[in-house]
Amino acid sequence: GHPWCRGCGGEALIYVKLISSDGHEFIVKREHVLTSETIKTMLSGPGHFAENKTNEVNFREIPSHVLSKVCMYFTYKIQYTNSSKEIPEFPIAPEIPLELLMAVNFLDC
Amino acid sequence: MEAGEEPLLLAELKPGRPHQFDWKSSCETWSVAFSPDGSWFAWSQGHCIVKLIPWPLEEQFIPKGFEAKSRSSKNETKGRGSPKEKTLDCGQIVWGLAFSPWPSPPSKKLWARHHPQVPDVSCLILATGLNDGQIKIWEVQTGLLLLNLSGHQDVVRDLSFTPSGSLILVSASRDKTLRIWDLNKHGKQIQVLSGHLQWVYCCSISPDCSMLCSAAGEKSVFLWSMRSYTLIRKLEGHQSSVVSCDFSPDSALLVTASYDTNVIMWDPYTGERLRSLHHTQLNPPMDDSDVHISSLRSVCFSPEGLYLATVADDRLLRIWALELKTPIAYAPMTNGLCCTFFPHGGVIATGTRDGHVQFWTAPRVLSSLKHLCRKALRSFLTTYQVLALPIPKKMKEFLTYRTF
Repeated sequence: GHPWCRGCGGEALIYVKLISSDGHEFIVKREHVLTSETIKTMLSGPGHFAENKTNEVNFREIPSHVLSKVCMYFTYKIQYTNSSKEIPEFPIAPEIPLELLMAVNFLDC
Repeated sequence: MEAGEEPLLLAELKPGRPHQFDWKSSCETWSVAFSPDGSWFAWSQGHCIVKLIPWPLEEQFIPKGFEAKSRSSKNETKGRGSPKEKTLDCGQIVWGLAFSPWPSPPSKKLWARHHPQVPDVSCLILATGLNDGQIKIWEVQTGLLLLNLSGHQDVVRDLSFTPSGSLILVSASRDKTLRIWDLNKHGKQIQVLSGHLQWVYCCSISPDCSMLCSAAGEKSVFLWSMRSYTLIRKLEGHQSSVVSCDFSPDSALLVTASYDTNVIMWDPYTGERLRSLHHTQLNPPMDDSDVHISSLRSVCFSPEGLYLATVADDRLLRIWALELKTPIAYAPMTNGLCCTFFPHGGVIATGTRDGHVQFWTAPRVLSSLKHLCRKALRSFLTTYQVLALPIPKKMKEFLTYRTF
Protein backbone atom coordinates (compact mmCIF):
# COMPACT_ATOMS: atom_id res chain seq x y z
CA GLY A 1 0.00 0.00 0.00
CA HIS A 2 0.97 3.63 -0.14
CA PRO A 3 1.93 5.13 3.21
CA TRP A 4 0.80 8.53 2.06
CA CYS A 5 -2.80 7.70 1.29
CA ARG A 6 -5.65 6.66 3.43
CA GLY A 7 -7.02 3.31 2.51
CA CYS A 8 -6.03 1.36 -0.53
CA GLY A 9 -8.71 -0.72 -2.00
CA GLY A 10 -11.52 1.36 -3.36
CA GLU A 11 -11.78 4.35 -1.06
CA ALA A 12 -11.16 7.77 -2.53
CA LEU A 13 -7.50 8.66 -2.19
CA ILE A 14 -6.79 11.97 -0.50
CA TYR A 15 -3.43 12.62 -2.09
CA VAL A 16 -2.12 12.24 -5.61
CA LYS A 17 1.43 12.25 -6.89
CA LEU A 18 2.50 14.55 -9.71
CA ILE A 19 5.84 13.71 -11.27
CA SER A 20 7.85 16.29 -13.21
CA SER A 21 9.98 15.63 -16.28
CA ASP A 22 13.12 15.71 -14.14
CA GLY A 23 11.79 13.15 -11.70
CA HIS A 24 10.61 15.35 -8.80
CA GLU A 25 7.55 14.01 -7.08
CA PHE A 26 4.93 16.39 -5.76
CA ILE A 27 2.39 14.94 -3.37
CA VAL A 28 -0.67 17.12 -3.49
CA LYS A 29 -4.21 16.86 -2.14
CA ARG A 30 -6.57 15.40 -4.70
CA GLU A 31 -9.01 18.25 -4.07
CA HIS A 32 -6.34 20.73 -5.09
CA VAL A 33 -5.29 19.14 -8.36
CA LEU A 34 -8.87 18.99 -9.55
CA THR A 35 -8.40 22.70 -10.29
CA SER A 36 -6.81 21.47 -13.48
CA GLU A 37 -9.46 20.19 -15.86
CA THR A 38 -6.87 18.04 -17.58
CA ILE A 39 -5.68 16.33 -14.40
CA LYS A 40 -9.30 15.87 -13.34
CA THR A 41 -9.98 14.00 -16.56
CA MET A 42 -6.80 11.94 -16.26
CA LEU A 43 -7.62 10.88 -12.72
CA SER A 44 -11.21 9.95 -13.36
CA GLY A 45 -10.17 7.06 -15.53
CA PRO A 46 -11.71 3.61 -14.99
CA GLY A 47 -11.33 2.34 -11.46
CA HIS A 48 -10.15 4.08 -8.33
CA PHE A 49 -8.25 1.16 -6.92
CA ALA A 50 -4.70 1.62 -5.69
CA GLU A 51 -3.47 -0.93 -8.22
CA ASN A 52 -4.39 1.41 -11.05
CA LYS A 53 -2.14 4.36 -11.64
CA THR A 54 -4.95 6.96 -11.34
CA ASN A 55 -3.32 8.38 -8.22
CA GLU A 56 -0.14 9.31 -10.09
CA VAL A 57 0.41 11.52 -13.09
CA ASN A 58 3.63 11.75 -15.05
CA PHE A 59 4.32 15.04 -16.78
CA ARG A 60 7.08 14.29 -19.24
CA GLU A 61 7.16 17.87 -20.52
CA ILE A 62 6.82 19.88 -17.34
CA PRO A 63 10.04 20.53 -15.36
CA SER A 64 9.98 20.75 -11.56
CA HIS A 65 10.46 24.53 -11.32
CA VAL A 66 7.25 24.91 -13.31
CA LEU A 67 5.28 22.10 -11.69
CA SER A 68 6.05 23.43 -8.22
CA LYS A 69 4.56 26.80 -9.22
CA VAL A 70 1.45 25.07 -10.52
CA CYS A 71 1.04 23.28 -7.17
CA MET A 72 1.40 26.61 -5.39
CA TYR A 73 -1.41 27.99 -7.55
CA PHE A 74 -3.65 25.06 -6.58
CA THR A 75 -3.16 25.95 -2.92
CA TYR A 76 -3.76 29.66 -3.63
CA LYS A 77 -6.94 28.89 -5.49
CA ILE A 78 -8.41 26.61 -2.85
CA GLN A 79 -7.49 29.04 -0.10
CA TYR A 80 -9.10 32.13 -1.62
CA THR A 81 -12.08 30.76 -3.53
CA ASN A 82 -15.33 31.48 -1.66
CA SER A 83 -13.44 33.37 1.00
CA SER A 84 -14.25 36.89 2.09
CA LYS A 85 -10.58 37.67 2.67
CA GLU A 86 -8.83 40.10 0.36
CA ILE A 87 -7.16 38.12 -2.43
CA PRO A 88 -3.41 38.80 -2.47
CA GLU A 89 -1.35 38.85 -5.66
CA PHE A 90 0.01 35.53 -6.89
CA PRO A 91 3.67 36.22 -7.64
CA ILE A 92 5.24 34.96 -10.85
CA ALA A 93 8.97 35.62 -11.24
CA PRO A 94 9.87 37.07 -14.67
CA GLU A 95 11.95 34.04 -15.75
CA ILE A 96 9.15 31.51 -15.79
CA PRO A 97 5.86 32.90 -17.20
CA LEU A 98 6.35 31.59 -20.71
CA GLU A 99 7.22 28.03 -19.64
CA LEU A 100 4.48 28.22 -17.05
CA LEU A 101 1.98 29.33 -19.68
CA MET A 102 2.82 26.34 -21.87
CA ALA A 103 2.22 23.96 -18.99
CA VAL A 104 -0.92 25.79 -17.91
CA ASN A 105 -2.30 25.70 -21.43
CA PHE A 106 -2.01 21.92 -21.33
CA LEU A 107 -3.34 21.66 -17.79
CA ASP A 108 -6.24 24.09 -18.36
CA CYS A 109 -6.22 25.97 -15.07
CA MET B 1 -19.83 38.90 -5.01
CA GLU B 2 -19.83 36.43 -7.83
CA ALA B 3 -19.54 37.68 -11.36
CA GLY B 4 -23.05 38.33 -12.61
CA GLU B 5 -24.46 39.61 -9.35
CA GLU B 6 -25.49 43.25 -9.33
CA PRO B 7 -23.12 45.66 -7.58
CA LEU B 8 -24.39 46.47 -4.10
CA LEU B 9 -24.06 49.89 -2.59
CA LEU B 10 -21.66 49.54 0.34
CA ALA B 11 -21.59 53.14 1.50
CA GLU B 12 -22.32 56.67 0.36
CA LEU B 13 -20.54 59.85 1.37
CA LYS B 14 -22.45 63.10 1.15
CA PRO B 15 -20.97 66.53 1.75
CA GLY B 16 -22.05 68.33 4.93
CA ARG B 17 -23.52 71.82 4.97
CA PRO B 18 -22.76 73.47 1.65
CA HIS B 19 -20.07 76.10 1.44
CA GLN B 20 -21.05 79.74 1.60
CA PHE B 21 -20.77 80.16 -2.17
CA ASP B 22 -23.49 77.77 -3.17
CA TRP B 23 -22.91 77.98 -6.92
CA LYS B 24 -24.80 75.19 -8.62
CA SER B 25 -21.84 74.54 -10.86
CA SER B 26 -19.17 74.06 -8.25
CA CYS B 27 -20.54 71.12 -6.26
CA GLU B 28 -19.44 68.30 -8.56
CA THR B 29 -17.18 65.40 -7.77
CA TRP B 30 -15.16 65.47 -10.97
CA SER B 31 -12.63 62.92 -9.77
CA VAL B 32 -12.23 60.14 -7.22
CA ALA B 33 -8.99 58.32 -6.42
CA PHE B 34 -7.54 55.64 -4.18
CA SER B 35 -3.86 55.75 -3.23
CA PRO B 36 -1.84 52.97 -4.95
CA ASP B 37 -1.47 51.05 -1.67
CA GLY B 38 -5.18 51.33 -0.92
CA SER B 39 -4.71 53.14 2.39
CA TRP B 40 -6.38 56.45 1.43
CA PHE B 41 -9.32 57.70 -0.60
CA ALA B 42 -9.48 61.20 -2.05
CA TRP B 43 -12.95 62.70 -2.36
CA SER B 44 -13.22 65.91 -4.31
CA GLN B 45 -16.53 66.91 -2.77
CA GLY B 46 -17.13 70.14 -4.62
CA HIS B 47 -16.90 73.71 -3.40
CA CYS B 48 -13.12 73.60 -3.60
CA ILE B 49 -12.72 70.99 -0.86
CA VAL B 50 -10.94 67.64 -1.10
CA LYS B 51 -11.37 65.19 1.77
CA LEU B 52 -8.65 62.62 2.34
CA ILE B 53 -10.20 59.61 4.01
CA PRO B 54 -8.28 56.67 5.45
CA TRP B 55 -9.32 53.34 3.97
CA PRO B 56 -10.99 51.12 5.09
CA LEU B 57 -13.84 53.46 6.05
CA GLU B 58 -14.74 53.93 9.67
CA GLU B 59 -17.93 52.46 11.15
CA GLN B 60 -19.91 55.69 10.83
CA PHE B 61 -19.84 55.54 7.03
CA ILE B 62 -21.15 52.01 6.73
CA PRO B 63 -24.97 51.71 6.79
CA LYS B 64 -26.27 49.88 9.84
CA GLY B 65 -26.65 46.16 9.46
CA PHE B 66 -24.40 45.89 6.46
CA GLU B 67 -21.57 43.41 6.64
CA ALA B 68 -18.89 45.23 4.73
CA LYS B 69 -16.89 42.19 3.64
CA SER B 70 -14.27 44.27 1.95
CA ARG B 71 -13.23 45.83 5.23
CA SER B 72 -10.40 43.96 6.89
CA SER B 73 -10.48 43.85 10.66
CA LYS B 74 -7.84 46.46 11.32
CA ASN B 75 -9.47 47.84 14.43
CA GLU B 76 -6.14 47.86 16.19
CA THR B 77 -4.97 50.70 13.98
CA LYS B 78 -7.66 53.03 15.25
CA GLY B 79 -6.83 55.29 18.15
CA ARG B 80 -3.45 56.81 18.90
CA GLY B 81 -1.35 57.27 15.81
CA SER B 82 -4.01 56.10 13.37
CA PRO B 83 -4.44 58.31 10.32
CA LYS B 84 -7.32 60.74 10.52
CA GLU B 85 -9.37 62.36 7.83
CA LYS B 86 -7.79 65.46 6.28
CA THR B 87 -9.53 68.41 4.63
CA LEU B 88 -7.74 70.23 1.83
CA ASP B 89 -9.14 73.65 1.00
CA CYS B 90 -7.91 74.22 -2.50
CA GLY B 91 -9.39 77.68 -2.87
CA GLN B 92 -10.97 76.96 -6.25
CA ILE B 93 -12.86 74.22 -8.06
CA VAL B 94 -10.95 70.93 -8.10
CA TRP B 95 -11.05 68.93 -11.32
CA GLY B 96 -8.20 66.41 -11.37
CA LEU B 97 -6.74 64.20 -8.61
CA ALA B 98 -3.75 61.85 -8.54
CA PHE B 99 -1.82 60.08 -5.78
CA SER B 100 1.82 59.10 -5.77
CA PRO B 101 4.11 57.45 -3.25
CA TRP B 102 6.60 59.93 -1.87
CA PRO B 103 10.09 58.73 -0.85
CA SER B 104 10.32 60.46 2.50
CA PRO B 105 8.09 63.13 3.99
CA PRO B 106 9.78 66.53 3.71
CA SER B 107 8.01 67.61 6.84
CA LYS B 108 9.10 64.53 8.81
CA LYS B 109 10.58 66.73 11.54
CA LEU B 110 7.35 68.67 11.77
CA TRP B 111 5.41 65.43 11.96
CA ALA B 112 7.62 64.04 14.71
CA ARG B 113 7.13 67.19 16.78
CA HIS B 114 3.36 66.72 16.94
CA HIS B 115 3.23 62.94 17.04
CA PRO B 116 5.82 61.30 19.33
CA GLN B 117 5.38 58.01 17.54
CA VAL B 118 5.78 58.47 13.81
CA PRO B 119 2.85 56.41 12.54
CA ASP B 120 3.44 53.38 10.42
CA VAL B 121 1.79 54.76 7.32
CA SER B 122 3.15 54.98 3.82
CA CYS B 123 4.29 58.37 2.55
CA LEU B 124 2.00 59.76 -0.09
CA ILE B 125 1.30 62.94 -2.00
CA LEU B 126 -1.84 64.07 -3.79
CA ALA B 127 -1.86 66.34 -6.82
CA THR B 128 -5.00 68.46 -7.35
CA GLY B 129 -5.80 70.06 -10.71
CA LEU B 130 -7.57 73.39 -10.31
CA ASN B 131 -9.86 75.73 -12.18
CA ASP B 132 -7.35 78.41 -13.13
CA GLY B 133 -4.66 76.03 -14.33
CA GLN B 134 -2.70 75.66 -11.10
CA ILE B 135 -1.73 72.28 -9.71
CA LYS B 136 -1.32 71.97 -5.95
CA ILE B 137 0.69 69.13 -4.47
CA TRP B 138 -0.25 68.09 -0.91
CA GLU B 139 1.34 65.76 1.60
CA VAL B 140 -1.33 63.24 2.54
CA GLN B 141 -0.28 62.39 6.11
CA THR B 142 -0.32 66.02 7.26
CA GLY B 143 -2.56 67.79 4.75
CA LEU B 144 0.22 70.31 4.15
CA LEU B 145 0.64 72.10 0.84
CA LEU B 146 4.03 71.17 -0.61
CA LEU B 147 4.16 72.70 -4.08
CA ASN B 148 2.28 74.93 -6.48
CA LEU B 149 2.82 74.18 -10.17
CA SER B 150 2.02 76.97 -12.60
CA GLY B 151 1.96 76.86 -16.36
CA HIS B 152 -1.45 75.80 -17.60
CA GLN B 153 -3.71 78.61 -18.75
CA ASP B 154 -7.02 76.93 -18.03
CA VAL B 155 -8.72 74.13 -16.05
CA VAL B 156 -6.46 71.16 -15.24
CA ARG B 157 -9.00 68.43 -15.90
CA ASP B 158 -6.93 65.33 -15.27
CA LEU B 159 -3.65 64.24 -13.71
CA SER B 160 -1.57 61.09 -13.85
CA PHE B 161 1.60 60.12 -11.97
CA THR B 162 4.05 57.52 -13.24
CA PRO B 163 3.01 54.30 -11.46
CA SER B 164 6.66 53.45 -10.77
CA GLY B 165 6.83 56.24 -8.19
CA SER B 166 9.46 58.16 -10.19
CA LEU B 167 7.53 61.36 -9.38
CA ILE B 168 6.88 62.45 -12.96
CA LEU B 169 3.44 64.02 -13.24
CA VAL B 170 1.36 64.51 -16.39
CA SER B 171 -1.45 67.07 -16.47
CA ALA B 172 -4.22 67.51 -19.05
CA SER B 173 -5.87 70.89 -19.53
CA ARG B 174 -8.59 72.89 -21.25
CA ASP B 175 -5.74 74.97 -22.64
CA LYS B 176 -5.35 72.06 -25.11
CA THR B 177 -1.95 71.03 -23.82
CA LEU B 178 -0.56 68.33 -21.61
CA ARG B 179 2.41 69.14 -19.43
CA ILE B 180 5.11 67.01 -17.85
CA TRP B 181 6.37 68.00 -14.40
CA ASP B 182 9.33 66.60 -12.49
CA LEU B 183 8.65 66.53 -8.76
CA ASN B 184 12.25 65.47 -8.12
CA LYS B 185 13.18 68.99 -9.22
CA HIS B 186 10.64 70.94 -7.19
CA GLY B 187 7.95 70.56 -9.80
CA LYS B 188 9.91 71.85 -12.76
CA GLN B 189 7.92 71.81 -15.99
CA ILE B 190 9.99 69.68 -18.35
CA GLN B 191 7.76 69.46 -21.43
CA VAL B 192 4.63 70.83 -23.05
CA LEU B 193 2.74 68.42 -25.31
CA SER B 194 0.77 70.23 -28.00
CA GLY B 195 -1.37 68.78 -30.70
CA HIS B 196 -4.91 68.58 -29.41
CA LEU B 197 -7.30 71.07 -30.95
CA GLN B 198 -9.86 71.03 -28.17
CA TRP B 199 -10.01 70.81 -24.38
CA VAL B 200 -8.02 67.83 -23.16
CA TYR B 201 -10.26 65.74 -20.90
CA CYS B 202 -8.10 62.92 -19.69
CA CYS B 203 -4.64 61.44 -19.49
CA SER B 204 -3.34 58.07 -18.37
CA ILE B 205 0.16 56.63 -18.09
CA SER B 206 0.60 52.91 -18.82
CA PRO B 207 1.62 50.81 -15.79
CA ASP B 208 5.00 50.05 -17.41
CA CYS B 209 5.47 53.84 -17.71
CA SER B 210 6.29 53.66 -21.43
CA MET B 211 3.16 55.27 -22.89
CA LEU B 212 0.82 58.17 -22.24
CA CYS B 213 -2.71 58.30 -23.57
CA SER B 214 -4.62 61.57 -23.87
CA ALA B 215 -8.11 62.32 -25.16
CA ALA B 216 -9.94 65.54 -25.84
CA GLY B 217 -13.10 67.14 -27.21
CA GLU B 218 -12.28 65.63 -30.60
CA LYS B 219 -12.46 62.17 -32.14
CA SER B 220 -8.76 61.23 -32.21
CA VAL B 221 -7.09 59.71 -29.18
CA PHE B 222 -3.38 60.50 -28.84
CA LEU B 223 -0.71 58.05 -27.76
CA TRP B 224 2.62 59.58 -26.64
CA SER B 225 5.96 58.07 -25.69
CA MET B 226 6.88 58.66 -22.04
CA ARG B 227 10.55 58.27 -22.98
CA SER B 228 10.83 60.89 -25.70
CA TYR B 229 7.61 62.85 -24.96
CA THR B 230 6.70 62.69 -28.64
CA LEU B 231 3.53 61.54 -30.35
CA ILE B 232 3.57 57.84 -31.28
CA ARG B 233 0.24 57.67 -33.09
CA LYS B 234 -3.35 58.86 -33.20
CA LEU B 235 -6.12 56.33 -32.65
CA GLU B 236 -9.14 56.87 -34.88
CA GLY B 237 -12.50 55.28 -34.30
CA HIS B 238 -14.62 57.37 -32.00
CA GLN B 239 -17.34 59.59 -33.47
CA SER B 240 -17.38 62.24 -30.78
CA SER B 241 -15.44 63.70 -27.84
CA VAL B 242 -13.39 61.16 -25.91
CA VAL B 243 -13.64 61.79 -22.16
CA SER B 244 -11.92 58.93 -20.33
CA CYS B 245 -9.08 56.49 -20.91
CA ASP B 246 -7.37 53.71 -18.95
CA PHE B 247 -4.66 51.10 -19.54
CA SER B 248 -4.95 47.47 -18.42
CA PRO B 249 -2.68 46.50 -15.49
CA ASP B 250 -0.22 44.79 -17.88
CA SER B 251 -0.20 47.78 -20.29
CA ALA B 252 -1.36 45.48 -23.11
CA LEU B 253 -4.79 47.07 -23.57
CA LEU B 254 -6.14 50.60 -23.68
CA VAL B 255 -9.80 51.52 -23.26
CA THR B 256 -11.32 54.87 -24.20
CA ALA B 257 -14.84 56.17 -23.54
CA SER B 258 -16.70 58.71 -25.64
CA TYR B 259 -19.87 60.79 -25.87
CA ASP B 260 -20.60 58.62 -28.91
CA THR B 261 -21.88 55.97 -26.39
CA ASN B 262 -19.04 53.56 -27.06
CA VAL B 263 -16.02 52.28 -25.23
CA ILE B 264 -13.29 51.12 -27.60
CA MET B 265 -10.63 48.64 -26.57
CA TRP B 266 -7.31 49.09 -28.40
CA ASP B 267 -3.96 47.38 -28.66
CA PRO B 268 -1.76 50.39 -27.81
CA TYR B 269 1.32 48.86 -29.45
CA THR B 270 -0.22 48.39 -32.89
CA GLY B 271 -3.08 50.90 -32.74
CA GLU B 272 -5.59 48.20 -33.69
CA ARG B 273 -9.18 48.37 -32.48
CA LEU B 274 -9.95 45.12 -30.73
CA ARG B 275 -13.59 45.71 -29.89
CA SER B 276 -16.32 48.24 -29.16
CA LEU B 277 -18.59 48.10 -26.14
CA HIS B 278 -21.96 49.55 -27.05
CA HIS B 279 -23.93 51.23 -24.30
CA THR B 280 -27.46 50.54 -25.35
CA GLN B 281 -30.39 51.23 -23.10
CA LEU B 282 -31.87 48.51 -20.95
CA ASN B 283 -35.39 49.53 -21.95
CA PRO B 284 -35.74 50.80 -25.52
CA PRO B 285 -37.09 54.39 -25.74
CA MET B 286 -40.69 55.11 -26.72
CA ASP B 287 -39.66 58.08 -28.80
CA ASP B 288 -36.51 59.84 -29.94
CA SER B 289 -36.12 61.95 -26.83
CA ASP B 290 -33.71 59.60 -25.08
CA VAL B 291 -31.37 59.11 -28.00
CA HIS B 292 -28.37 60.95 -26.53
CA ILE B 293 -28.48 59.88 -22.93
CA SER B 294 -25.92 57.06 -23.10
CA SER B 295 -22.91 59.35 -23.39
CA LEU B 296 -20.01 57.84 -21.52
CA ARG B 297 -18.37 59.68 -18.64
CA SER B 298 -15.77 57.29 -17.34
CA VAL B 299 -14.17 53.89 -17.90
CA CYS B 300 -11.68 51.99 -15.76
CA PHE B 301 -10.02 48.57 -15.56
CA SER B 302 -10.21 46.32 -12.51
CA PRO B 303 -6.86 45.67 -10.79
CA GLU B 304 -6.50 42.07 -11.98
CA GLY B 305 -7.36 43.12 -15.52
CA LEU B 306 -10.48 41.02 -16.12
CA TYR B 307 -13.27 43.60 -15.74
CA LEU B 308 -14.21 47.12 -16.76
CA ALA B 309 -16.53 49.55 -15.06
CA THR B 310 -18.26 52.34 -17.01
CA VAL B 311 -20.35 55.31 -15.95
CA ALA B 312 -22.80 56.71 -18.49
CA ASP B 313 -25.42 59.47 -18.67
CA ASP B 314 -28.24 56.92 -18.84
CA ARG B 315 -27.96 56.58 -15.07
CA LEU B 316 -26.19 53.24 -15.05
CA LEU B 317 -22.94 51.88 -13.69
CA ARG B 318 -22.05 48.88 -15.85
CA ILE B 319 -19.59 46.08 -15.16
CA TRP B 320 -18.14 44.31 -18.20
CA ALA B 321 -16.11 41.09 -18.38
CA LEU B 322 -13.17 41.32 -20.74
CA GLU B 323 -14.30 38.66 -23.18
CA LEU B 324 -18.03 39.40 -23.39
CA LYS B 325 -19.96 41.83 -25.58
CA THR B 326 -22.62 42.83 -23.10
CA PRO B 327 -22.38 43.97 -19.48
CA ILE B 328 -22.50 41.32 -16.77
CA ALA B 329 -24.05 43.62 -14.18
CA TYR B 330 -25.73 47.00 -13.78
CA ALA B 331 -26.37 49.36 -10.89
CA PRO B 332 -28.50 52.49 -10.96
CA MET B 333 -26.62 55.70 -10.37
CA THR B 334 -27.73 59.21 -11.17
CA ASN B 335 -25.49 62.02 -12.37
CA GLY B 336 -22.38 59.86 -12.40
CA LEU B 337 -19.14 61.49 -13.49
CA CYS B 338 -16.23 59.25 -12.55
CA CYS B 339 -15.29 55.80 -11.33
CA THR B 340 -12.28 53.93 -10.06
CA PHE B 341 -11.52 50.49 -8.59
CA PHE B 342 -10.00 49.92 -5.18
CA PRO B 343 -6.42 48.77 -5.96
CA HIS B 344 -6.84 45.37 -4.27
CA GLY B 345 -10.19 44.71 -5.94
CA GLY B 346 -13.67 44.14 -4.58
CA VAL B 347 -14.85 47.76 -4.47
CA ILE B 348 -15.67 50.46 -7.05
CA ALA B 349 -15.92 54.13 -6.08
CA THR B 350 -18.08 56.52 -8.14
CA GLY B 351 -18.52 60.30 -7.97
CA THR B 352 -21.55 62.35 -8.95
CA ARG B 353 -22.61 65.82 -10.01
CA ASP B 354 -23.90 66.67 -6.54
CA GLY B 355 -20.63 65.91 -4.80
CA HIS B 356 -21.64 62.46 -3.57
CA VAL B 357 -19.38 59.45 -3.62
CA GLN B 358 -20.62 55.86 -3.60
CA PHE B 359 -18.81 52.61 -2.96
CA TRP B 360 -20.07 49.49 -4.71
CA THR B 361 -19.19 45.82 -4.45
CA ALA B 362 -17.22 44.71 -7.49
CA PRO B 363 -16.67 41.18 -8.78
CA ARG B 364 -14.00 39.49 -6.67
CA VAL B 365 -12.47 36.95 -8.95
CA LEU B 366 -9.54 34.65 -8.62
CA SER B 367 -7.64 34.88 -11.92
CA SER B 368 -6.89 31.66 -13.75
CA LEU B 369 -3.21 30.75 -13.77
CA LYS B 370 -3.40 31.20 -17.53
CA HIS B 371 -4.43 34.83 -17.17
CA LEU B 372 -1.83 35.41 -14.45
CA CYS B 373 0.89 34.18 -16.85
CA ARG B 374 -0.44 36.44 -19.60
CA LYS B 375 -0.46 39.42 -17.25
CA ALA B 376 3.12 38.63 -16.12
CA LEU B 377 4.36 38.28 -19.69
CA ARG B 378 2.57 41.31 -21.10
CA SER B 379 3.91 43.51 -18.31
CA PHE B 380 7.22 43.49 -20.14
CA LEU B 381 6.52 42.22 -23.67
CA THR B 382 5.07 44.39 -26.43
CA THR B 383 2.61 42.92 -28.94
CA TYR B 384 5.39 42.64 -31.54
CA GLN B 385 7.65 40.79 -29.11
CA VAL B 386 4.85 38.30 -28.41
CA LEU B 387 4.27 37.76 -32.12
CA ALA B 388 7.98 36.95 -32.53
CA LEU B 389 7.95 34.20 -29.89
CA PRO B 390 8.32 30.57 -31.01
CA ILE B 391 4.90 29.54 -29.76
CA PRO B 392 1.70 28.25 -31.41
CA LYS B 393 -0.63 30.71 -33.10
CA LYS B 394 -3.42 30.13 -30.59
CA MET B 395 -1.06 31.00 -27.77
CA LYS B 396 -0.14 34.26 -29.52
CA GLU B 397 -3.81 35.10 -29.93
CA PHE B 398 -4.36 34.49 -26.25
CA LEU B 399 -1.37 36.58 -25.23
CA THR B 400 -2.37 39.50 -27.46
CA TYR B 401 -5.95 39.45 -26.19
CA ARG B 402 -7.37 38.56 -29.57
CA THR B 403 -9.41 35.60 -28.34
CA PHE B 404 -12.84 37.12 -28.26
